[in-house]
This record gives sequence, structure tokens and C-alpha cells, in this order.
Amino acid sequence: MDVLRLPQDMATQLIEHAQAEYPKEACGLIGGPPGSAGKLYRLTNVDPDPVMRYNADPKELKRVTDDIYDRDWDVVAIYHSHTHSPAFPSPTDVERAFYPEASYVLVSLMDRQRPDLRAFRIIEGKITEIDVVNDGQGA
Amino acid sequence: MAVEVRIPTILRKHTGGAKAVGSKGSTIRAVIDQLDADHPGLRAAILADGGEIHRFINIYLNDEDVRFVGALDTPVEDGDVVSILPAVAGGAARG
Repeated sequence: MDVLRLPQDMATQLIEHAQAEYPKEACGLIGGPPGSAGKLYRLTNVDPDPVMRYNADPKELKRVTDDIYDRDWDVVAIYHSHTHSPAFPSPTDVERAFYPEASYVLVSLMDRQRPDLRAFRIIEGKITEIDVVNDGQGA
Repeated sequence: MAVEVRIPTILRKHTGGAKAVGSKGSTIRAVIDQLDADHPGLRAAILADGGEIHRFINIYLNDEDVRFVGALDTPVEDGDVVSILPAVAGGAARG
């Protein structure tokens, strides 16, 4: 079964990023050897309405994906936060899911004391939830 | 001008799975025209109906986002690398 192996320290980094950007949506990538999370890359959300949408800075996106491909890694996951809605892909998330090779990780901060982290595949408009496995302390 | 074009996973169905393909042309527009001649369907995936670069596609000439230089009219040199990267975008709101 399709799972996302995410070390606990990386899940913590991801939630810290989401909290730091609140109430704006945070976004970033996780790169790694196929199927495993090697490094978390924060990206700057440059959408004009960053509380309700995200669009990663294209210049940073190029730099980060170059780093991932130079290491012979994959884009393992794309993450973002929802600050006022559940950790489930919105219609906009589905329309703009242009990386079928990646897992989509969502963090909801509807309850800031209890962030909810879930992961999905979004392929050709179809959403499938996948398990997030706490996989030790990093690749 | 002969260039290498890097293709994102979502568009590799047009290139038989290839991650990078060759193209040629003196501008980004000409490179895309040649790309579409060799791999039909790529232009429609990269450009919007009005002919400009699709809102959620980024095209880079080497490290430069072409939107900030000459967009489709950006001149291309022999040996340049053109990268196509879809936006990392979405969000809670519609539209």
C-alpha cells in the first residue's frame, strides 16, 4: 500500500513552518531518495491572497528542484497548510495538483493547539488518502 | 540554436517518458514550436489559449524565469537549458 514515510523531526519542522506563517498558508517540498523523505525545503508563498491560497516563489522552486534532481532524488512530497479548514485537498488543490509523482501533505491549523497532518495522492483529479508512517529520525 | 529542454513528470506522457529532450530555435517561442512539432500536445500544455505562458507553468532559461526577461521572445543561445516546471500551488479558496 502507498504510504508516506516521514521522520518525526521532519513532521515537526513542517508543522513549525505552518505555525510560523499562520494565518497565511505555508508551503514547501520534501525531497528524497524514491519513497523516503530526505530533506524539507521551505518555499515562500507569493500568492496575492496568502491566507486562502498558496503559490510557491518560482525562483525558489527552481533552486530547490535543481538541488533535489542534482542529488538524484525525487520530489517526494509537496506540503501546505490550511489555516481555517480541514486537512483535506480543496477543489483548488485538486485543480493545481501538477506533480503526480508526489504525495500531497496537508496540515490543518483550525485548532492551532492540535495540528492535523494528513497525506494524499492527487492524480488526474482523484484524491486518495495515504498513511503517514513515522519513520525514525531522518534519512 | 540547439537546446536541452527538461520535462516535468506530468508532461512526460508527450515525450515517451523522457525527462529531457532536444529542441532548437532562436527564442523560447521557437523552441516550444519545435518541441510541439516533435512531441505533439506539449504547446497546448505549456501555453494558454491566448498564446501566453500558462498561468501555472514556469519556464526557465538556465536559472532565469523567462517571465521576468522577455517571456516567449527571450532569445536562446546554443547549449542553453530550458526547464519547464509546473507551479506548486493551491489553497483553501476557490479560483
